[in-house]
Amino acid sequence: MDCYTANWNPLGDSAFYRKYELYSMDWDLKEELRDCLVAAAPYGGPIALLRNPWRKEKAASVRPVLEIYSASGLPLASLLWKSGPVVSLGWSAEEELLCVQEDGVVLVYGLHGDFRRHFSMGNEVLQNRVLDARIFHTEFGSGVAILTGAHRFTLSANVGDLKLRRMPEVPGLQSAPSCWTALCQDRAAHILLAVGPDLYLLDHAACSAVTPPGLAPGVSSFLQMAVSFTYRHLALFTDTGYIWMGTASLKEKLCEFNCNIRAPPKQMVWCSRPRSKERAVVVAWERRLMVVGDAPESIQFVLDEDSYLVPELDGVRIFSRSTHEFLHEVPVASEEIFKIASMAPGALLLEAQKEYEKESQKADEYLREIQELGQLTQAVQQCIEAAGHEHRPDMQKSLLRAASFGKCFLDRFPPDSFVRMCQDLRVLNAIRDYHIGIPLTYSQYKQLTIQVLLDRLVLRRLYPLAIQICEYLRLPEVQGVSRILAHWACYKVQQKDVSDEDVARAINQKLGDTPGVSYSDIAARAYGCGRTELAIKLLEYEPRSGEQVPLLLKMKRSKLALSKAIESGDTDLVFTVLLHLKNELNRGDFFMTLRNQPMALSLYRQFCKHQELETLKDLYNQDDNHQELGSFHVRASYAAEERIEGRVAALQTAADAFYKAKNEFAAKATEDQMRLLRLQRRLEDELGGRFVDLSLHDTVTTLVLGGHSKRAEQLARDFRIPDKRLWWLKLTALADLEDWEELEKFSKSKKSPIGYLPFVEICMKQHNKYEAKKYASRVGPEQKVKALLLVGDVAQAADVAIEHRNEAELTLVLSHCTGATDAATADKIQRARAQAQKK
Amino acid sequence: MASAIGSLPQHPETTEKSRPVPENSEANGGAGCPAQDPDVGSHGADPLPGKKDLFIEADLMSPLDRIANVSILKQHEVDKLYKVENKPALSSNEQLCFLVRPRIKNMRYVASLVNADKLAGRTRKYKVIFSPQKFHACEMVLEEEGVFGDVSCDEWAFSLLPLDVDLLSMELPEFFRDYFLEGDQRWINTVAQALHLLSTLYGPFPSCYGIGRCSKMSYELWRKMGEEEDGETKGRRPEIGHIFLLDRDVDFVTALCSQVVYEGLVDDTFRIKCGSVDFGPEVTSSDRSLKVLLNAEDKVFNEIRNEHFSNVFGFLSQKARNLQAQYDRRRGMDIKQMKNFVSQELKGLKQEHRLLSVHIGACESIMKKKTKQDFQELIKTEHALLEGFSIRESTSYIEEHIDRQVSPIESLRLMCLLSITENGLIPKEYRSLKTQYLQSYGPEHLLTFSNLRRAGLLTEQAPGDTLTAVESKVSKLVTDKAAGKITDAFSSLAKRSNFRAISKKLNLIPRVDGEYDLKVPRDMAYVFSGAYVPLSCRLIEQVLERRSWQGLDEVVRLLNCGELAFTDMTKEDKASSESLRLILVVFLGGCTFSEISALRFLGREKGYRFIFLTTAVTNSARLMEAMSEVKA
Repeated sequence: MDCYTANWNPLGDSAFYRKYELYSMDWDLKEELRDCLVAAAPYGGPIALLRNPWRKEKAASVRPVLEIYSASGLPLASLLWKSGPVVSLGWSAEEELLCVQEDGVVLVYGLHGDFRRHFSMGNEVLQNRVLDARIFHTEFGSGVAILTGAHRFTLSANVGDLKLRRMPEVPGLQSAPSCWTALCQDRAAHILLAVGPDLYLLDHAACSAVTPPGLAPGVSSFLQMAVSFTYRHLALFTDTGYIWMGTASLKEKLCEFNCNIRAPPKQMVWCSRPRSKERAVVVAWERRLMVVGDAPESIQFVLDEDSYLVPELDGVRIFSRSTHEFLHEVPVASEEIFKIASMAPGALLLEAQKEYEKESQKADEYLREIQELGQLTQAVQQCIEAAGHEHRPDMQKSLLRAASFGKCFLDRFPPDSFVRMCQDLRVLNAIRDYHIGIPLTYSQYKQLTIQVLLDRLVLRRLYPLAIQICEYLRLPEVQGVSRILAHWACYKVQQKDVSDEDVARAINQKLGDTPGVSYSDIAARAYGCGRTELAIKLLEYEPRSGEQVPLLLKMKRSKLALSKAIESGDTDLVFTVLLHLKNELNRGDFFMTLRNQPMALSLYRQFCKHQELETLKDLYNQDDNHQELGSFHVRASYAAEERIEGRVAALQTAADAFYKAKNEFAAKATEDQMRLLRLQRRLEDELGGRFVDLSLHDTVTTLVLGGHSKRAEQLARDFRIPDKRLWWLKLTALADLEDWEELEKFSKSKKSPIGYLPFVEICMKQHNKYEAKKYASRVGPEQKVKALLLVGDVAQAADVAIEHRNEAELTLVLSHCTGATDAATADKIQRARAQAQKK
Repeated sequence: MASAIGSLPQHPETTEKSRPVPENSEANGGAGCPAQDPDVGSHGADPLPGKKDLFIEADLMSPLDRIANVSILKQHEVDKLYKVENKPALSSNEQLCFLVRPRIKNMRYVASLVNADKLAGRTRKYKVIFSPQKFHACEMVLEEEGVFGDVSCDEWAFSLLPLDVDLLSMELPEFFRDYFLEGDQRWINTVAQALHLLSTLYGPFPSCYGIGRCSKMSYELWRKMGEEEDGETKGRRPEIGHIFLLDRDVDFVTALCSQVVYEGLVDDTFRIKCGSVDFGPEVTSSDRSLKVLLNAEDKVFNEIRNEHFSNVFGFLSQKARNLQAQYDRRRGMDIKQMKNFVSQELKGLKQEHRLLSVHIGACESIMKKKTKQDFQELIKTEHALLEGFSIRESTSYIEEHIDRQVSPIESLRLMCLLSITENGLIPKEYRSLKTQYLQSYGPEHLLTFSNLRRAGLLTEQAPGDTLTAVESKVSKLVTDKAAGKITDAFSSLAKRSNFRAISKKLNLIPRVDGEYDLKVPRDMAYVFSGAYVPLSCRLIEQVLERRSWQGLDEVVRLLNCGELAFTDMTKEDKASSESLRLILVVFLGGCTFSEISALRFLGREKGYRFIFLTTAVTNSARLMEAMSEVKA
């Protein structure tokens, strides 16, 4: 036990700090760190080194080298720096490397040294050069602040959404500030800078001088300043070897310390834990590392090598040529358990479990002690929590074992905290592995979230591990495995040395039909890399045809897109492709394409019918579809044309087309219509009234009604109106006129082709029984009964029916026999029936 | 069985509620979001807040009316309602909202309005809401007309309207013309989506049958949708045992016949719109017309809707007598009984009384109209056509019908019926009937005939026979795919209806000894006075009996659906026996009330329960109007 706390260093009365090794680095650095520009990303992120940045005189012959390593020192990328001189390096929140050049251009590289993009920090910088730059993290993303040769500051709070902000001038600033930093307060970025004994705060509007409260006198210059990870606290190092620590708002002092070292420190960073009351700052010189806080004594370490500090959420990472260490305040749970002679429940539980393993009865004593105090639940929780903060798996295990042991004696202890901790530690141990090299602490991991961690693994192309983690944590496929596979596939398509077939097959084999994977997205990426053929192959695997189409169009495979769209059954999609094709191809080719796709053709026809009539005509012409062409002109003759001549001309064209289509009937009918139209026009001129657009029947009726019988008959002859129709027509018209005399004359003009029953019917319809009776006598024998019944002559109807000996007629008459008046008739029929049956 | 069926009436409503689309996206339309959803209320869902005028397409009025009444529209600050028609709008409002079908015509209308405003230097806010979905072509037209930037668009993804406890309508009457005439497949996606929605609500369908090209395409598309987002329906217990999809063009005959079942007759005479009907003054015997909702809630209607018309009057008078008797009971009552009677029964009786008088009025009106037109003659002719005797008499009857200008739509219907039952008209008659028709009703119907021919409704006989000879020869000579293509090309030219042969195979004309007792129907033929069993319903009956198309190969071939009849069975073990009795019948292109009545009858006989999904309720007149070319 004693040896476990050997590396614990007390700071004041209440806090311990410990430093332990994360990795021993074998990155084989040829140069000292001090000869390089160094940038390490927080949250166990990668380390970037740019060697030789200052050897300007040799720049032409020896180009600097940019190298990127994982936190464990594994090389990720190495490239020769061919651009201009670099002032500063830094990592964005998305783990992109930002390289700020002297000319104000910021180059953005990926984790693997792949160039992403670049942007400029403004034109002003071009002449004045960049003196210094800082990359900082805000709640919006990552920001860049630069100090120019003209001693002006420019910053952008989010490089993802670049908005440059030139900060106001500091009055009387002649030389570069001795130190400066970017501050984020109230969702805005400020600059704090020190000039001699004065501090200035720059915001968007103004420059204001500030004084830290309770600053010891005699300061003539500030040598270093450090802002905490959360921008809450600020530390200042003065030329008197005095350190002031307070809030970043400069409104409150936390503590101060005098280290009596006047040499400017190389680095100064905050080392504090979230939710801890302890505040401490780590200060590094060439060979000395000092942890200072609210205590008269500081903790001192000797640095054997040139080291670099990386501030983290809950501590400081320190790496050098040979090692990578982590320095942090010992968390409460660990402190309670491991502190010498601790009687905390967790400590007792751990002890109890150890004794239990030794099969000693002491185990019972310890356990009883905890239980008597009623602190077993707390003890288990403490052990679980402390396990999270341990770096060494053996310690994690022993703590978890203790927790598990304690749990046995508890009735209702919810298991999820224990299970979750086991899972988290498994994940953490996996990613802390040397080969992966992401030394996250438990607090950092919780802050980062599993989703971001997975993204980072994907970014490092550690697909198998990411998938294993997803499966282990049983994350939903769409968020987990499928997403990672999709990323993998997108990476795969960039491998230019593998053939299209192999890539496509490999991707399909791995992805199969995993839900949530969009082959079209992967294909889009392939197309983005200039691999059109691969993209098409990948699209073949896309089950939703609808998804294939947009990309195919983009790749100018419009015909393929058309057939895919038709396959999808989505007419809207087909239409989109059609319009695309229409613009892409010349008219002839476009029509030819349509010809082979009847569904697309009918869709396009529909569109043309309403929007582009001329195109429709061309379409029919192209296909020699004379029938439709004829119909088209017929429609035009009454829809588009107003003048009679125009309409006749349209009809003529239609008739020609119909002849070509061998549709004689339609052609003749059209010609008849032309004739009729002309004639109607003449009638309108001569007789007045409206004739145009009436049907032939209605035209004749109108003539009859207007008393132009001669004309009507002429028309009927000209157009060969059948006799029957003419008779019906005249009959109806004359009855409407109630011209009974004329009707009678007409009925006698010759034998009626429609019989005389209609005469009876129509007279009865006009309630003229007298006239009706006249015709009833002339009705032929088959319909006589009906006619007689119509005029209400039931008795005579009965006679006729009896005479006909027709059973149906007899029934009919009988059904009309109502009331007393017809009783005699009914009798008569019954008798006739009886007689008929006898026979 | 009771549970599955008992729960169904609510389901169509849950269709609306569980999928907030019909009502809420309605609110998206700025039109009617019921106040029940306060947080969707003012700005979230109302894309055009503030006072506005609503322009609505005639087709969408009835569906909207079923969902949102005027007061709901007023709540959404709809000031005035206009119909979308080819007239300039006189609206003076600053905001205009259009609720339309995604049609180019409508887009041009909107564009003309916007452009007129622009010319007048006026700026207003325009919002176009497409139902059931937006099409790219529409945006394209707006763009071409130069108003794309001025108009904002939205969708009302309204796909299923429950008209009754067993009837769901997509309210897409234009489906028929679009698909069967223009070959436009735009609505297939909509149908597939509706099916998908139903399967997410009721679980997967263990067995699926279908016939017709459109059915097949819709079915395949729907399946694809299911595969894309599986998991949702998986593991659910199926509530509906079978689904049967049927294209309208498989059976035109039934749809073309005059309807004689009460509900169908009401539809033929007064036109039922979206489940309700406007009875004019001749029915209500007052000077106002009355809008009546016709569904199972109407107790009187529910009892007579499926009855042959000849029974209806008798039933109604019996009912009236019963009612009178119930009223009369109060004579001998003491005060307590009277109180009871007034508080409990009187209201119901009065309601029944009101309904009864409405339906008696409707019956009288129907009788008057039908005798006027020689309804008996007409029915006789139809039956003759169906049975295939005295064709010459029927033809001359039709000719007379045309000559007398009785009704353009009726004449057309009879011609089509003649053509389909006779496998096309003989050339001489084809020509003469057409000539007569053109003389009677105007030359523009030349295009109508071209449409009917394309749809296979009115065709010429002769070339068909020779064609089949050629066809069979060709396919004997060449056995590869090319032959199939050639046959395809031929068959599209001369799609023979083969009605006579089908009728024989399926025994559609029942052999009757003596009078068919319409009061106690024996089979589905009662819906056509015992003369004809609806082909569509017979097909469904046969397939359900066999649980597949097996043994119906010849019929399928005769229906020209060689490759287009399909069966898809999945394991039925999860389906309860109740759900297996529940059958969803999908009519693509519309179904008639007669078919619904016939299947309801079949259900009662065989212990099935049918639910109907149709693109729209149709009848012969609607079909013919869809095919007619009318001057604008």
